[in-house]
Amino acid sequence: MTEAATREKSRQDLDVAAIRQQFPILSQTVHDRPLVFLDSAASAQKPDAVIDAMTHTMRGQYANIHRGLHWMSERTTEAYEAVRDQVAHFLNAPSRDEIIFTRNSTEAINLVAHSFGALLKPGQAVVISEMEHHANLIPWQMLRDRAGIELRVAPITEAGDIDLDALQGLLADGKVALVAVTHMSNVLGTVTPAKRIAEIAHAAGAQVLFDGSQFVVHRKTDVQALGADFYTFTGHKLYGPTGIGVLWARKALLEAMPPFLGGGDMISTVTFEKSTWANVPHKFEAGTPAIIETIGLGAAISWVEAIGFEAIAAHEAALTAHALTRLADVPGLKVIGQPKERGGVISFTMDDVHPHDIATLLDRNGVAVRAGHHCAEPLMRRLGLSATARASFGVYTLPEEIDTLVDTLVRIRNFFV
Amino acid sequence: MTTSGANSLAAPHPEANGFGVRSAGVTSPEVHTSGNSTLADSGALYDRLIVERARTPQYAGRLEQADAQGEGKNPLCGDKTRVELQMMDTHISQIRHQTRGCAICLAAADLMAERVTGLTVLQARDMSHRFSAMLVGDSGSAPDAHTETSALGPLEAFAPLRAHRARHRCAELPWVALKEALSHVDV
Repeated sequence: MTEAATREKSRQDLDVAAIRQQFPILSQTVHDRPLVFLDSAASAQKPDAVIDAMTHTMRGQYANIHRGLHWMSERTTEAYEAVRDQVAHFLNAPSRDEIIFTRNSTEAINLVAHSFGALLKPGQAVVISEMEHHANLIPWQMLRDRAGIELRVAPITEAGDIDLDALQGLLADGKVALVAVTHMSNVLGTVTPAKRIAEIAHAAGAQVLFDGSQFVVHRKTDVQALGADFYTFTGHKLYGPTGIGVLWARKALLEAMPPFLGGGDMISTVTFEKSTWANVPHKFEAGTPAIIETIGLGAAISWVEAIGFEAIAAHEAALTAHALTRLADVPGLKVIGQPKERGGVISFTMDDVHPHDIATLLDRNGVAVRAGHHCAEPLMRRLGLSATARASFGVYTLPEEIDTLVDTLVRIRNFFV
Repeated sequence: MTTSGANSLAAPHPEANGFGVRSAGVTSPEVHTSGNSTLADSGALYDRLIVERARTPQYAGRLEQADAQGEGKNPLCGDKTRVELQMMDTHISQIRHQTRGCAICLAAADLMAERVTGLTVLQARDMSHRFSAMLVGDSGSAPDAHTETSALGPLEAFAPLRAHRARHRCAELPWVALKEALSHVDV
């Protein structure tokens, strides 16, 4: 597609200019340059709708939830619980009771490792992939060391896809209780074939967990169509606030699992001798939750759904195609991974120019990218790299911003090489 | 690598190149300034001396007979420096480094090696403190900061790193390796 056609396509799919006006931060300058924010995969910027929902709560409708008998508490509880309905709809979950609010995706996975992990016996195994974020690696290592289970790692192909044959091989002995893999890689952009992975896992008697932190931002997620057993995501990458994440799990699993954290709100009766637990989801929500952030997440989901995932996916696909075309023209630049299906995340290296130098020099030009191991050290080792630079796109990203990235990269290369 | 690219820094932006490139380092030998006179930026980070040393290090390699060695690793980015020392009495007579890292880290290792050659262990440790102090903005406070053995000299090229806290570790990594090496030296 030509550049002009890309821009036209992008504009048809989304009124990006109108969207950008809803993000106050995007009109800032950095080092006297317009901010070009290409780090949404780390954390996305927030639209007015989210900011307003949170300040509206704090200004006019806030009290602690669930326990209050007064008007303000009841209204706040309604607003908080309404987000549970929203999230259930957002994921196409069969029941609102299957939505657990956590602090982020990391905490959601830790919850599963702790509470589902408590059901596992020594000798059983958990399978992850070679391209997991540390969030979907460390909790399982901790479980392995504590519970005597085995941690197996499904390899990825040279292109950056999960090797499904190898995955199948790892499941062959029937010892695997859970396959926990990303639904979209934060480094390679790989969208994993989740439905197929769920089929493979189930055929071997294993449950399956998908880390959807990157995926939910870009495409419509349907946990039932995927055949998932557990699904996690975080609010702050979805244009929502930090401090709020989601675990979805099938109700039968949640009911069988012991609680994660103990405290207020998660109990049914308490005596010094023995306590009993509240029903799900409350069994897994100890203490005062992130009320304001949850309401902010609800606003983010409404905002994203109003735009629609069809338009978002088309916009990001056009941007990604444009970026890959333009980046191919930068001498010495190597895009890492050519997965079968890719989201708006592109990691790259450029000759011997260190990714930290790339990121610092891009920043001097107002362009924000991420550089480092992206919380995926084993993947970097697999790729034979110590670090990459990564550009990632959001609903507000313009093709012109990618052009600025590319033009600046050319100048950086000329500077160093 | 060639140096010709340095002249292609002229950016579309009329006032500055945006790279924060200063036109000369403190003790930079030959500096190509042609066409770059408008590129000065008070927030300069990639001093020409730094870029030159990252491209063409003068102290890279190993020593055949090292008296002490040390290593520094940054787990956040995988950067790594290994430093080898040869001592003559109490002085560092030779120093070489093997560095895998960014331009800041590479140049820091090379300019560190240049600066501490000939210093005593105590003077080298003192230099390490002065370098760290400069990065956090305390340089020059010591009364003898500009004597022959204590002046930062070419290391002042890293002063603009003050504004880039995230990169301090890059510049300090070689000093971590040096400190380890010095700890193995009997004085």
